[in-house]
Amino acid sequence: MIGAGTSAAATADQVRTVAPDVPVLRVEAVTKKWRGRDLATLRAVDLVLHDGRIAALAGENGAGKTTLLRILAGLITADSGRVSVDGVSPDTDASGYQRRVSFVPAGQTGLYARLTVDFHLDFCARLMYVPRESRRRVIEAAAERFDLHELRAQRVDRLSMGQRQRVRLALGFLPAPRLILLDEPANSLDTRGNELLAHAIEAHAAGGGSLIWCAPTVDNLPFELDELYSLRAGRLIDR
Amino acid sequence: MTAVAAYADATVGFIKRDVTGFLSYRLRFVSQILGTFFSVTLFYYISRLITVGTFKSPDAYFAFVVVGIAIMSTLVTSLSALPARVRQELVAGTFERVVLSPFGPVAGITAAVLFPMLLALLEATLTIGFAAAVFGMPIRATAVLAIPTAFLTSLSFVPFALLASASVIVAKQVQTGIGFVVTGISLISGVFFPVSLLPSWIRWTENVQPFTPALNLLRHLIAGAPMDGTAAGALLKLVAFIGIFAPLGWFALRWAIRTSQRRGTIIEY
Repeated sequence: MIGAGTSAAATADQVRTVAPDVPVLRVEAVTKKWRGRDLATLRAVDLVLHDGRIAALAGENGAGKTTLLRILAGLITADSGRVSVDGVSPDTDASGYQRRVSFVPAGQTGLYARLTVDFHLDFCARLMYVPRESRRRVIEAAAERFDLHELRAQRVDRLSMGQRQRVRLALGFLPAPRLILLDEPANSLDTRGNELLAHAIEAHAAGGGSLIWCAPTVDNLPFELDELYSLRAGRLIDR
Repeated sequence: MTAVAAYADATVGFIKRDVTGFLSYRLRFVSQILGTFFSVTLFYYISRLITVGTFKSPDAYFAFVVVGIAIMSTLVTSLSALPARVRQELVAGTFERVVLSPFGPVAGITAAVLFPMLLALLEATLTIGFAAAVFGMPIRATAVLAIPTAFLTSLSFVPFALLASASVIVAKQVQTGIGFVVTGISLISGVFFPVSLLPSWIRWTENVQPFTPALNLLRHLIAGAPMDGTAAGALLKLVAFIGIFAPLGWFALRWAIRTSQRRGTIIEY
């Protein structure tokens, strides 16, 4: 784990160029209503997350957790309201926003079945504009963070579900963004995988980054939460 | 790192991805190229039956059709390989990673056209080489100029590939329509027979797509076939097609991505 946190902090510092009083994440009155549904899935959701804070987002299935995460990730847009990370909005500077945010969606998708773990790390680093001079170091740190060294030459379709999840998480933490969004990240992880994830989260927060952990229940998490929210009837409730 | 370097690195990443994925299927290229060689062989023997006024000799028709077959793969690549790739990425969930990157989906899809384009050019070169080596098709010295011309031809099809990809992102399924368009273009553009044989009421179509001028120019450069106009005129047509349709293709792709992000359907398939 040594090196992973250092790398995260360095990159986060590089990206952070705003005044200290600007929160990492600011969500203002975000509303989303899906077509064909009577009620809005998200209703005027507000959320502020500061440097180094770890938040959890709980709620029943279908409560709108993933919808909120996708909006925060910049994958889909809200019907109304605003989202910004370090003051950067996905509507006005999509590229700048994506440099600051990383999203690990739920499930096992998002990997190229016939390509190796190493290829994924390199491809992700290139996509995330990791500079050439630090790419190798960042990839090494990502592999170390999730104990992928022995798997690096293997194709991902030959990995177990838990190993694939570690690859997906490594890709999420690789660019060391300001905000990491994790949707049900512990799925398929064994004890060792959960420990690695907890260490990575703590190192990310220690480096000044923020994180949202999303799952139906958030009991017995292997790290300390700073904030806990739940979604009910489209409203975000601070618990 | 400058923006140009970041873009270049990401683009190289896409090419590496596509090359590695392609090579992981060991027999794919061999079977693909063998299929084309079989077509060339088939048309060689069909050409032995051709004795019409349009062509001076069976060899003239053979050279005509070989260039048509070679360039046809470029068209198929442009119009079907890229949209198919986008759909495959949607199903695998890998498109999401491209959308959620600073490189972005428009640049990602555009970068994804490069490898199929280069592969189609290689396949076209091998096809013509096979026809020359095995069946003695004469090749002129100007054939060297056919390589940049073929590259330009590929570029002129990219806007249509972007439009088709935009359709995949919004409508999720356009493969049937693309097959229809490819077959239609092969019929009206002079791949297997000269456009002059078509009924006069449909001949206007040769002026509204880049395939016919590209074919005429490439046949002239490779096999010395006579052209209706000048080579410069045909080149100008290709450049004009790129100039007019490339911005339209990019605009359509941007619109499709923004619309599907607003609707929340961007990762649906």
